[in-house]
Amino acid sequence: MNNVFGVIVISSFQLLLVLASAPLISGIIKKTKARFQRRRGASVVQPYFDLAKLLRKEVVVSPVASWLFRITPYLVFASTLVIALLVPTVVTPVPLHWIGDIITVIYLFALGRFFVALVGLDTGSAFGGLGSSREMSVASIIEPAMMLAIFTAAVTAGSTNLSIIVARLSSTPVAMLNPAHLLAFSGLFIVTIAETGRVPVDNPATHLELTMIHEAMILEYSGRYLALIEWASQMKLVVFLALLSNMFFPVGIATTWSPWALLVGSAAFFCKIIVLAVIVAVVESTNAKLRLFRVPEFLMVAFILSFLALILFFIIGA
Amino acid sequence: MMEKQQYITLLSKSLGDRLTVHDAVAPNEVHMSLREQSLSTLPETCSLLIKSFKAQFTTLVGNDERSLNGSFSLYYVFSVPADDIFLILQVPVDPRHMEVPSISQNLASANWFEREVKDWFGIIAFPNIYKLAAHPDWPEDQHPMWKDFDPQAVVPRVKGTFEFKEVEGEGVFEIPVGPVHAGIIEPGHFRFSVAGEPIINLDVQLFYTHKGTEKIAEGLSPHRAVFLAERVSGDSSFGHALAFCHSMERLSGCDIPQRAIVIRTMLLELERLYNHIGDIGAILLDVGFSVGAATAFELKERFMQLNETLTGSRLLRGLAALGGVRRDPEATSLQRQALREMIVQGKRAFEDLVNLVMASSSVLDRLETTGTLSHTDAYRLGITGIAGRASGIDRDFRRDHPHGAYPHLRFRVVTHKEGDVFARMNVRIGEVRESLAMLEQLQHQHLGEQTLTSVVTIPPLRHALGYVEGWRGEIVHWVMTDNAGQLYRWKITDPSFHNWRALKVAVRNNIVPDFPVINKSFNLSYSGNDR
Repeated sequence: MNNVFGVIVISSFQLLLVLASAPLISGIIKKTKARFQRRRGASVVQPYFDLAKLLRKEVVVSPVASWLFRITPYLVFASTLVIALLVPTVVTPVPLHWIGDIITVIYLFALGRFFVALVGLDTGSAFGGLGSSREMSVASIIEPAMMLAIFTAAVTAGSTNLSIIVARLSSTPVAMLNPAHLLAFSGLFIVTIAETGRVPVDNPATHLELTMIHEAMILEYSGRYLALIEWASQMKLVVFLALLSNMFFPVGIATTWSPWALLVGSAAFFCKIIVLAVIVAVVESTNAKLRLFRVPEFLMVAFILSFLALILFFIIGA
Repeated sequence: MMEKQQYITLLSKSLGDRLTVHDAVAPNEVHMSLREQSLSTLPETCSLLIKSFKAQFTTLVGNDERSLNGSFSLYYVFSVPADDIFLILQVPVDPRHMEVPSISQNLASANWFEREVKDWFGIIAFPNIYKLAAHPDWPEDQHPMWKDFDPQAVVPRVKGTFEFKEVEGEGVFEIPVGPVHAGIIEPGHFRFSVAGEPIINLDVQLFYTHKGTEKIAEGLSPHRAVFLAERVSGDSSFGHALAFCHSMERLSGCDIPQRAIVIRTMLLELERLYNHIGDIGAILLDVGFSVGAATAFELKERFMQLNETLTGSRLLRGLAALGGVRRDPEATSLQRQALREMIVQGKRAFEDLVNLVMASSSVLDRLETTGTLSHTDAYRLGITGIAGRASGIDRDFRRDHPHGAYPHLRFRVVTHKEGDVFARMNVRIGEVRESLAMLEQLQHQHLGEQTLTSVVTIPPLRHALGYVEGWRGEIVHWVMTDNAGQLYRWKITDPSFHNWRALKVAVRNNIVPDFPVINKSFNLSYSGNDR
């Protein structure tokens, strides 16, 4: 099946999988958090209804907003979709792995962030600018930590191509227990928390504009624009969880395109990201949000973990 | 310890040349009148009172008495905690020269009071001339608290814009927030001047919820005014209603049934409990510790349900009445049992909550050193209640001006020195424990069945204070009756009116994202402030 048709089928499958599962994962996190707060919580499929509702609602745009405001939701959504094509979820190598490696992924995220930060300034609301400035300062620390963590895995595998990293690792399972590997995983986990705007870095559930980071930038969005932004954020979380699970523990991932392997791969993928999602919810429930000026310290931990991982790799080897 | 008579003798001897001293109906009030020719000595007299008796400025009341004696009056109220005495200095104001010297030069805590009097009465406390309660579009020549002002009249607005302190410098931005906020909070406009994240200056514009409560109460029967008092500030429904009842009862000199006094004290503590626990939850929510917040809110809900079981009202409304309380909240065995069980379970659940919070280093890190209000500032601005006690101001009307059953209860006034958000939370934690202990002590006091006596003899043209230590701080009502024994003037002082100025000082040099939690740690009432 290694042909154009196969590439299209498998790529569409992967795309649909990320698109369709993203709201569910966010629903699972919300549900877990609700349980920790001894609430019953909304159903795990509630995010689907929320998106459907937002897609139907009218869009209100500030009269001072420029064209940036209108294109950004599509841009963010599209760039996240491209990332979803590049990151191995249920199968490795992904059919389109040759279009970009891990550096492409990092910069596609940066592209989305860049435009969202511009939009925060674009609407003329005081909160948007506040959010943009915070997002940019946090991002400037997230990015090096993220790169370092990912490069540790890349060095181990001898390639920056995500599919090759995953494939190498899944063929030598012992490498998963390498201490360098585990340290890099912890580093990337902290980055995931920060990058997806979760407690203790940001609070996705707050109503207090003055404390927001990511939410402050998109405060002016409504209707389908908001739906696209929200959906993209949910997919971003899935992508990060996929990176965490497959770049470090590629257990069960399909290496062929046979239906059976894909089935097993999907099951393994969902088990792993649901476990990770629950861990994220636990972290969110057991911590208060950090004081804004402590966020760099927290991210430095990620940076140092990744740095140690890299050093360890050179000392004890892969 | 000095008695009231000693105060009267001492004051008329030493200050007799500038003021006259009279006895008052209320047992612990000393009334004085400043002679007209001594008006210029007003600031000095106030400072003297404060220094010689370690008195605290409590409130300032403006009153239109033109129909009685042809002039306006200002009443400066001071509390003397050491001797449980209130000194009330009356200052006549000639309607032709609506001006008195300002006392806020030496006494910063009087600043807002003077400005409010200027807005509502047109009496200028020179040089403190800035608007406060009236918004800029309110015409200068309209004085809503004059007796001849018709509250129904439509006042044509003038042009005017809010003036905020402008901070200039490189990279200084202004962030306007409100008056409409996210979440269920009352309106108020905040204007931050920030350099990056640190707040350089905060200006607050309040009085969006001014309802003219004091105005519409004119001519109202005291019995009906109790309902109005319950609506001054929703979270202090019982506190305000009780403070008002106290003022009327002190005027009439009637004896309140012992059982009613116990019930009133119990209800005051129940009001404190649900509010303190709710505030602890709100503080935790604002630092993003949702599990702690949910635990606190659940406990608050249980106390509010207890309120409903006992009184039929979650906010303890409809119980206060002149001469006692309308019903006995422990009338049935079911109610007695509910209260008994909740004291035990509430205590256990509350300690669990405290342990949960204290075990979370990430929460403590957010609360400690955040929003510090120094003792000096708190003292200077006359900050009362929990906010004051968290900055080391050892004041509590329950001890200093005992009312209700407090003289018979064992309790500790909880104070902390640090003045930060954590200290304000710790004061609340300490007070919840004390409240629960007090409820326990009150359980064993069954003093008869009678809960209400009739208050009929309210003397005309007299005034008295009524006060309680509400959960937020001291609630002080000053009431004067007219010829028919109805309300002539009713001045309500909510602790928020003292404390709003503390917020401005406490947020300085903190970062913007910490503002919500600092604000929540004060949890001031907009409605009680604006009235």
